[in-house]
Amino acid sequence: MPIQLTSQAYCKMVLHAAKYPHSAVNGLLVAEKMKEKKKESHWEPVLCVDCVPLFHGTLALAPMLEVALTLIDTWCKENNYVIVGYYQANEHTKDSRPNQVAEKVAARISENFSEAAIVMVDNSRLRMSCFEPIVHIYDHHENKWKSREVTFDCFEDWSEAQKITSALLEGRSYESLIDFDNHLDDLRNDWTNPVINKSVLDLC
Amino acid sequence: MATISEMYDVGWEEMRDKLRKWREDNCRNSEQIVDVGEELISEHASKLGDDVWIIYEQVMIAALDCSRDDLALTCLQELRKQFPDSHRVKRLSGMRLEALERYDEANKHYEAILQDDPTNTAARKRKISILKAQGKNAEAIRELNEYLEHYGKAAFCLEELMMTNPHNHLYCEQYAEVKYTQGGLENLELSRKYFAQALRLNNRNMRALFGLYMSASHIAASPKVSAKVKKDNMKYASWAATQINRAYKLAGRGTKESKCSMKAVEEMLESMQITMS
Repeated sequence: MPIQLTSQAYCKMVLHAAKYPHSAVNGLLVAEKMKEKKKESHWEPVLCVDCVPLFHGTLALAPMLEVALTLIDTWCKENNYVIVGYYQANEHTKDSRPNQVAEKVAARISENFSEAAIVMVDNSRLRMSCFEPIVHIYDHHENKWKSREVTFDCFEDWSEAQKITSALLEGRSYESLIDFDNHLDDLRNDWTNPVINKSVLDLC
Repeated sequence: MATISEMYDVGWEEMRDKLRKWREDNCRNSEQIVDVGEELISEHASKLGDDVWIIYEQVMIAALDCSRDDLALTCLQELRKQFPDSHRVKRLSGMRLEALERYDEANKHYEAILQDDPTNTAARKRKISILKAQGKNAEAIRELNEYLEHYGKAAFCLEELMMTNPHNHLYCEQYAEVKYTQGGLENLELSRKYFAQALRLNNRNMRALFGLYMSASHIAASPKVSAKVKKDNMKYASWAATQINRAYKLAGRGTKESKCSMKAVEEMLESMQITMS
């Protein structure tokens, strides 16, 4: 079951990477929990309706990651979501391969969702116009993470995603994007990003 | 387009003071520095006195971060005119070449500085940054180690940092995170102690609070500990949980959005209590 990204999920990932251009960033991808009978159809893509930006800078330290995963898991249960993937943008613009951190987190996610995917953001292709998708999607096959060809089918609506992401980048919306690190700095910062979600909705 | 002073209703003194604060705090908010600094330089340079040179340097570096080579060059040229033989300015020239990915030329700049002044740490650090930017991590590490041997007083290890900055709760907290990540019961207990220490230095450090909770919980849940250690750690964890809940309640006052965060925290703490017992 391949994953598909909504405009909201895609644009928040890109905004996160844009907010911290000199750091690595990561986050989680969530989808709506599927009803039992739908699980039969293997060709149905899993729609990632949202993402939760986690950290910037040092990604590899365990305690805060554990806190974040547990907290977000609880939040997911309340909203009938399930964590289905993990995204990361590396510090080095020319390197967009998943590293040990990515694989470890994805393995943890796989415990709850067998088809978990890793989405790597390709910093070197980040442009204001967003004329092409800048993600690599990795699926777990035979104990290895293999990159899948990214087509417009990987998006619920690519032209909408492109339009919205580009508009928010131009408007510097990334300045108000909140990740879990920001939340730990000040608990009033809301990592569900209601303000940005509203902007996305307004642009749809 | 409106100017910064119009948009935010600030005078040039406030803009200058803002830049100073960002310098002192070592902030890397380059877009803002460029916005404020560019206006300050173009409209109020004459009023800045000797501050103007350090502002040129600050704005130049921020401009490089934002791909504003035009602005970076303007600042650099002013600095070159004023300080024609300066190593500090030569380093800035090198940084500009790095931003343009002309690494070989940049390296030549730094090597020229080091020929003249082998103790110039700034130039050495830039050389290591170039290696990092080129993805030559092994070489960067080698150079870094060489640099440390040369300059024994350089304190890069968090342990050194903590010794010389005993009041800095951030180093303490980060050290605790590293120990936690290394894993194993001993490291976990060490991490709990350092999280506790970080909290003593700053009782509002949320990471330290969460860290104390997580480490104490894991120790209490470990089959290898004695009943007393288990009991003590459950006490620490329980105390931390109360503080965390309190902090969220305080933050959530008045906003309905954070109610969901608060609930999530409560549930997380409850579920972990279950696994501990």
